[in-house]
Amino acid sequence: MINTKNLIKIFRTDEVETTALNNVNLEINTGEFVAIMGPSGCGKSTLLNIIGLLDNPSEGELHFNGFRVEKYTERQRTNLRKENIGFVFQSFNLIDELTVFENVELPLLYLKVSGAERKRRVNEALERMNIAHRAKHFPQQLSGGQQQRVAIARAVISNPKLILADEPTGNLDSANGEEVMNLLTQLNEEGTTIVMVTHSPSDADRSHRIIQLFDGHVVTENMRQKL
Amino acid sequence: MLKILLNTVLRSLYRQKAYSLMNIMGLATGVTCTLLILIWVEYETGFDKFHEEIDHIYSVYENQNYADGDVFSVYSTPAPLAESIKKSFPEIKYATRLVTTLGQLVLSVGDKSYVEDGGKIVDDDFFSIFSFPILKGEKKHPFQEENSIVLTEKLAQKMFGESNPIGRMVELNSKFRCKVVSVIQNPPANSSVSFDFILPFQFFEKLWDYDLNDWQANTFHTFIKVEKGVASDKLALQLQTYIKDRVPNSNVELALQAFVEYHLYAINANKAGPIWYVRVFLIIAVLILLIACFNYMNLATARSERRAKEVAIRKVVGAQRNGLVGLFLGESIFFALISLGIAIVLVELLLPVFSELTDRNLALGINNIKFLLSVSGIVIITGIISGSYPALFLSSFLPIQVIRGVSRKDSALLRKVLVIIQFSMSIALFVCSGIIYQQLNFLQQSDVGYNRNDLIYIEMSDDFNVIYPKLKRELIKIPGIYWVTAANQMPVNFTNSTWDVGWPGKTENSEDILFQLSFVDYDFIETFEMDVIQGRGFSRLQGEDSLKFIINESAAEKMNMVNTIGEPLRIWNYSGEVIGIVKDFNFRSLQVGVEPLIMMRNPDTFKYIGIRIGEDVEPTLNKIRAVWDTTVPDVPFTYRFLEEDFKYFYTAESRMSKIFVSFTLIAFVISCLGLFGLVSFVTERKSREMALRKVFGASMDTVFQLLLKEFFKWVLFSNAVAWVLSYFVMEWWLKGFAYRIDIGIGIFILAGFVSLLITFVTVYQQIWRLALKTPAHVLKYE
Ligand SMILES: Nc1ncnc2c1ncn2[C@@H]1O[C@H](COP(=O)(O)OP(=O)(O)O)[C@@H](O)[C@H]1O
Ligand SMILES: [Mg+2]
Repeated sequence: MINTKNLIKIFRTDEVETTALNNVNLEINTGEFVAIMGPSGCGKSTLLNIIGLLDNPSEGELHFNGFRVEKYTERQRTNLRKENIGFVFQSFNLIDELTVFENVELPLLYLKVSGAERKRRVNEALERMNIAHRAKHFPQQLSGGQQQRVAIARAVISNPKLILADEPTGNLDSANGEEVMNLLTQLNEEGTTIVMVTHSPSDADRSHRIIQLFDGHVVTENMRQKL
Repeated sequence: MLKILLNTVLRSLYRQKAYSLMNIMGLATGVTCTLLILIWVEYETGFDKFHEEIDHIYSVYENQNYADGDVFSVYSTPAPLAESIKKSFPEIKYATRLVTTLGQLVLSVGDKSYVEDGGKIVDDDFFSIFSFPILKGEKKHPFQEENSIVLTEKLAQKMFGESNPIGRMVELNSKFRCKVVSVIQNPPANSSVSFDFILPFQFFEKLWDYDLNDWQANTFHTFIKVEKGVASDKLALQLQTYIKDRVPNSNVELALQAFVEYHLYAINANKAGPIWYVRVFLIIAVLILLIACFNYMNLATARSERRAKEVAIRKVVGAQRNGLVGLFLGESIFFALISLGIAIVLVELLLPVFSELTDRNLALGINNIKFLLSVSGIVIITGIISGSYPALFLSSFLPIQVIRGVSRKDSALLRKVLVIIQFSMSIALFVCSGIIYQQLNFLQQSDVGYNRNDLIYIEMSDDFNVIYPKLKRELIKIPGIYWVTAANQMPVNFTNSTWDVGWPGKTENSEDILFQLSFVDYDFIETFEMDVIQGRGFSRLQGEDSLKFIINESAAEKMNMVNTIGEPLRIWNYSGEVIGIVKDFNFRSLQVGVEPLIMMRNPDTFKYIGIRIGEDVEPTLNKIRAVWDTTVPDVPFTYRFLEEDFKYFYTAESRMSKIFVSFTLIAFVISCLGLFGLVSFVTERKSREMALRKVFGASMDTVFQLLLKEFFKWVLFSNAVAWVLSYFVMEWWLKGFAYRIDIGIGIFILAGFVSLLITFVTVYQQIWRLALKTPAHVLKYE
């Protein structure tokens, strides 16, 4: 599903030039659950953002479902993103002015799904994430675990083929973290490809494969036994 | 989508109350001012439009050409003109003369008398030219007989109550009897021609003994209505020499003014007419609306930090930039709509005050399609202008930047430019209104060359020469009265002029000097406390003084006389000698300078009695009334203070300046909101930096000084721009006045000081707010 060739990302600020990714070659297959690990600042988020088409690589190729996408325009990326990719962030990133329901509904609006259909799907997703009773609440009225479940509901609402999660349990206690991981695992089992950045070895244990990054390089790709 | 949009806006509105309030109030104030101005402009431009065929109505006026190249335009035309041109030009369908009754008339029905001064004297064509609806009686041609009178509803009601006035007799000045032929609707307030009653033209001759065949005198308005499809410029060209063809030496050329322009446009080329105010206020409306929009932009982008996350998330889940631009535009249009709602309430509340200020009966034209359209236009334009920049700016955020928390490119430069423009406009308005205020104050207080305080005058309707000597004899005995005199006009606005003056040494060049002419009685100079430079004033002690002239300095200068006193002088066929020179005094608007003036004693023309009274006004007035009531028992006692007339003379200007000043202040307040937005933006951006500085021990003072220095720089720059701008605009405006102030530095310094003070207070307030927060709080939420 995802293929990178000699991916390089260099950040230039006034004083310094940081090479966040250096010749990264990756292949992620449909249906895989991949964990990306590594010390802080090694380029994990950068990699995830590039895969998610939120950022451009400086050099190298990025293939998505067989298409070269690294040169896509903003409009093309957005279209690709809204149909194929769901995001889960460490800091949830819900819109404060929207209710739980409306937050989850948002991607469907941009997919021009009809009202009735939206309602049905949002309710279904909320049921599934076990948060339906909070549909009318605002994000700030929820606990961290609940907010992250809303964020996951939003990520899956458009039935994306790929979910990118950047430290999804980073801001959660272990019980809530556990629940989030269960949800992600379940989604993967239903066929969604998941790429997750994490610091937690136990979270990483859920994955099929762990990619170790160090200083912008892939150091090991550790295939795990399928359970 | 719309529902979600609305929800988001309403919720963020609710969440950020202070900010939303500032934003909405800024816009609402702007829209309110614009609406008020538009209502007024609509009223002014709607004058006379109720006449059905207004496009075919013209006013014939005179351009008088003088030696020095001056052209002086007046509506006054000779009496025979109307009928003569109607006969000469078949394309002129109707023509009428129109003149206001000279002062008061006493109308009596039975033993009841009414002193009325709102009469018009016209020809029968008047009713065919204008469309004032006739309610009762003869509808088409009321003036088929000489002794007729047309009353307005109002006056008919006053004189006859509920009974039918048609056919009833009304007595004029106890001399003439005329029959009420028609009752006409009261002319609306936005009619240039207004009246309480209308008399047929023959009365002008009867009442005032005027030669109606004189092509040289000019007293009457002439209005014509032309056939459909007549090219007015061609007709005007043909009319141009009409008077010259009849009066060989005349300096008069005729011209046409479309009646549509009668109210707004001055016929004198060098005068602007009320259209000037209409334009100025339209400009102000646009400026205020722009200031309000800029203000919105500032406040909206100042809050961009808060919106950034929302934008990023929307983009992550699939929003395109266009959609977001639409979202933010929708939001600003929505804000504009709310503002409109508030503005309409405000306008309703303010209209009575504004009506009084403008002396117009203004109303919100809810059912006026044109008005509603322009209001919707304003709201949409306001929404789009004010939303444009925030929309482009906010929608340009890349999700990655927000998610990573990288600082975005700063839009500060544009915002600074906006604030500088906004501030420059407001400061310029501030300075202009200050100068306008000073100038008008100067006009009202300036020395006119005589003492206009403690001076009352009485207007006499009839029998002046019988009553006046008796009155004067009695009045002068009253201890509170110093001087009593008479004249044909009061010096607030002399309107009598002639160029038919002769003196020794008159040259070809001085052929066409226009002299103002006034007929005054003995003691005139003393009553008005004017200064005699040479010779003396008219005095009973010197005998009749009938062929004696007093001239003013300007006249003496124009005539280039050597000895002056005792020099022979001729006006028309009166020949006499100059007995005195009076120091120049003002007898017209101060916009015009003092013109050469000749005064002579001609009791036949007297209409006014001027009385110099002492401090004890009330008792003196009572005594005058007592004398009046015994001398002229059948005419009610009415009088005026000259001072009030003088004020009245400038009411248009002072009214406009008041409105101008009010709007300026409002613009200023809105700008302050803009400044506030900018300051809070900068402090918000800098709050992290400042929190860190605080952690490391920097005092708030240093931070404060730093910010203040930056803002002062911008405000001073705005001041510089505004000063230059307003200086030139005001110099241009002041050129229109013969008597004018010199622009002083004070108002500029005041504007600078006020703007700096406001900046200081705003920065101080924001810093103070920040200082109250602990660094931990700031850093945590950054
Ligand atoms: N927008 C940026 N500008 C400059 N440097 C950046 C930017 N984004 C990331 N970096 C740098 O790139 C490196 C990788 O960052 P990141 O991918 O966020 O690391 P991780 O997620 O593994 O902690 C870091 O050194 C970081 O400072
Ligand atoms: Mg990271």
